[in-house]
Amino acid sequence: VKLKRTLTMALATSLLFVACSSSATPTPSSAPAATTPATSTAPASAAASTAPASAAPLAADPAEAVIPNVEANAEIHFWTFYLSPTFDNYIKATIARFQQTYPTVKVDWEDHQGTFKDDLNSAFAAGNAPDVINLSVSEGWVSEYASKGLLLNLDDKVPQAVKDIYFPGLWKEQLIDGKNYQFPWYQGLNVELINKRLFAKAGLDPAAFPKTIDGLPQLCQTLKDKAGTVCDIRLTVSDLIAQMVYEGGVKPISDDGKTFTFDSPEAVAWLQMYVDMVKAGTVDNTTLTTTDDRTGLLLFSAGQAPFYATGPNLIRDVKSNNAELYADLATAPAPLGKSGVTGKGLMSISVKGDTKFPNASMALAQYFTNPRSMVEFAKIVSVYPSSAEAFKDPFFSTAASAIEDSARPLAGGIISTYADIVPTIPKKADVNDIVLKAIESALFGDNPVSAQQALTDAVAKANALLK
Amino acid sequence: MTRRFRATPYLFLLPAVALIGVFVVYPIIAVVYYSFTDYDIVRPPVWVGFDNYVQLFADKTFWLALTHSFIYLIVTPILIILSIALAIVVNRKLRGIHIFRALYFVPAVSGSIAIGLSWRFLFDRTGFINSVLQSLGIIHDPIQWLSTPSLVLPIAMLLTIWAGIGYYSVIFLAGLQNIPEELYDAALIDGCNDLQKHWHVSLPGLRPQIVFVGVISSLAALKVFDEIYVLTGTTGGVLDSGVTMVFYLWRQAFRLEHAGYAAAIAITLLAITLVFSMVNVRLLERQEADR
Repeated sequence: VKLKRTLTMALATSLLFVACSSSATPTPSSAPAATTPATSTAPASAAASTAPASAAPLAADPAEAVIPNVEANAEIHFWTFYLSPTFDNYIKATIARFQQTYPTVKVDWEDHQGTFKDDLNSAFAAGNAPDVINLSVSEGWVSEYASKGLLLNLDDKVPQAVKDIYFPGLWKEQLIDGKNYQFPWYQGLNVELINKRLFAKAGLDPAAFPKTIDGLPQLCQTLKDKAGTVCDIRLTVSDLIAQMVYEGGVKPISDDGKTFTFDSPEAVAWLQMYVDMVKAGTVDNTTLTTTDDRTGLLLFSAGQAPFYATGPNLIRDVKSNNAELYADLATAPAPLGKSGVTGKGLMSISVKGDTKFPNASMALAQYFTNPRSMVEFAKIVSVYPSSAEAFKDPFFSTAASAIEDSARPLAGGIISTYADIVPTIPKKADVNDIVLKAIESALFGDNPVSAQQALTDAVAKANALLK
Repeated sequence: MTRRFRATPYLFLLPAVALIGVFVVYPIIAVVYYSFTDYDIVRPPVWVGFDNYVQLFADKTFWLALTHSFIYLIVTPILIILSIALAIVVNRKLRGIHIFRALYFVPAVSGSIAIGLSWRFLFDRTGFINSVLQSLGIIHDPIQWLSTPSLVLPIAMLLTIWAGIGYYSVIFLAGLQNIPEELYDAALIDGCNDLQKHWHVSLPGLRPQIVFVGVISSLAALKVFDEIYVLTGTTGGVLDSGVTMVFYLWRQAFRLEHAGYAAAIAITLLAITLVFSMVNVRLLERQEADR
């Protein structure tokens, strides 16, 4: 009986151990990422928990009232994405200044986070969508809503002098039939965060990080052979066509927009590069096709990845999670793809198409994106303005001591070259889903298909959607 | 003799009827309607007749999802066997056994998302499982568990079983404690060993609980979503290796914004679960008749 009892207790203890073995593992941040074509950058708040508080609020300046004929007694609703509570002071102060500049307008602000898109879809369906909306350019939200006729065409309504404030490449992003539907807001830079210790173990110099995407396979092979680690590279799962265009120099659709062409030799070569890396076992397969930017960032923050492409604002995440790694951190510009274009915009502000107060709404969207407001924002988190005028502020010419701010003096030059070179893709979400499955069929499984076959099949399926 | 109409009982019923009407009946009718439309949530639905259903039956991913959902039903017998075994183990009068009973129940009261995330980290390239296997010298390079198509569904099923055992074993434990001790004494006198004792006494005594657990766990398995969503990072796994009916429904509705098509999937799923519910009712009726 004693033996039986002992065995029972032992069984119970072992079952309990198995049951509880996962309870000590950490949980990731739930903040979703907004991605750029080649790499990824999160919304400003995703890493700004340690950002310093804003200085004294700016005084209102009548010169900031650049939108004419603002409606009297306008009450407009403004939604932002992932900015509260970190930037409550900044947003509220800017709204207060706006209301002094345009005294006939009242603004109601709400911040939405993980459910932003679901909330916005529901609001549009219910007919109570906000007048002014913070939309992600990098995720393609502007073109998505604009193509459904839900946003206000700004090209016809905004004075030319106001359009000229912004970098031309940013003003011309996410065009639908050649028309713009967004005021460019805060921008990010694509950088590679580098774990110097793992690079040293592999005998690599962070300063010699590949300048172009072609150099990644060899780099990852060296890291695997000499440091025993694999690369954390993430495909932009939500917008693979854009990644093909920027990285592979691929022309995704014919000029008349009637036939997809992303099975060209350029596209096959682009996919083959990733196929070869997966075959060689030099990349983390889970990170490669995850939708969650945090998966790779978390591995990097834990010191288990040699490099990770993200925005400099997320260096603060590394700093707060792993101070030891932060002290051993280097950065390099993200490698260029075959398109030669460094990147595209991050965040924008759009106006609802059927708003009762179009001028007041445009005024608010423009106000948040004007040089003065943007410089204030950049001072509290490592995001960058969308206009040349803002970069003339002495803040951007001062050398920064922290690594996360080290790109500040170069940011204006880089962002001025940003451009959206992806043509309008009809039924974009469906096409992206088809491309994702095609890429997975070439990368994974017991019998992966060839890159050419995967893309040819995908083009056939995507073309069927256009009929 | 004429009966006088009294409004009072109907007035008492009205709030409940109104709530059910708004939150149950109307949504069901709306989903049926949307299943015959092309609807992207933000623009008004457009009537397309049976197009969504025609498309559904030609959709390979739908059939794959349906297959995965049926494969997922394997968790039901495994859950029943393991839960009964655990209930028998913790039914013994041992010092501190109440603590074990409470601890086994912890996954049942933990959030499924939290549990799923914990498991995702367990099976990461640098996670606990690979670390143990590497430290024991069983593997050299880490296994990329969650990006290996053939492993995604089994890992999700393992998670469901692990998270469900505690809850279902409590049901079986209650059933075991209702079985008269005299039956076990009689079995011992008849020469039964421990295994035979449970085979001939415990299992027949647990029949109502087995039917109940079988029905609710199979319905839950058909509707599995959380485990897949969290483990696969919202993609459904590479090559749709973890896509189940409800996950596919979610992806169509909220990722691809095909709410009309998703409604057609929902109606099909409703038909399948209705069949399961009817089997359930038949089993319960037969059980009542046997008593």
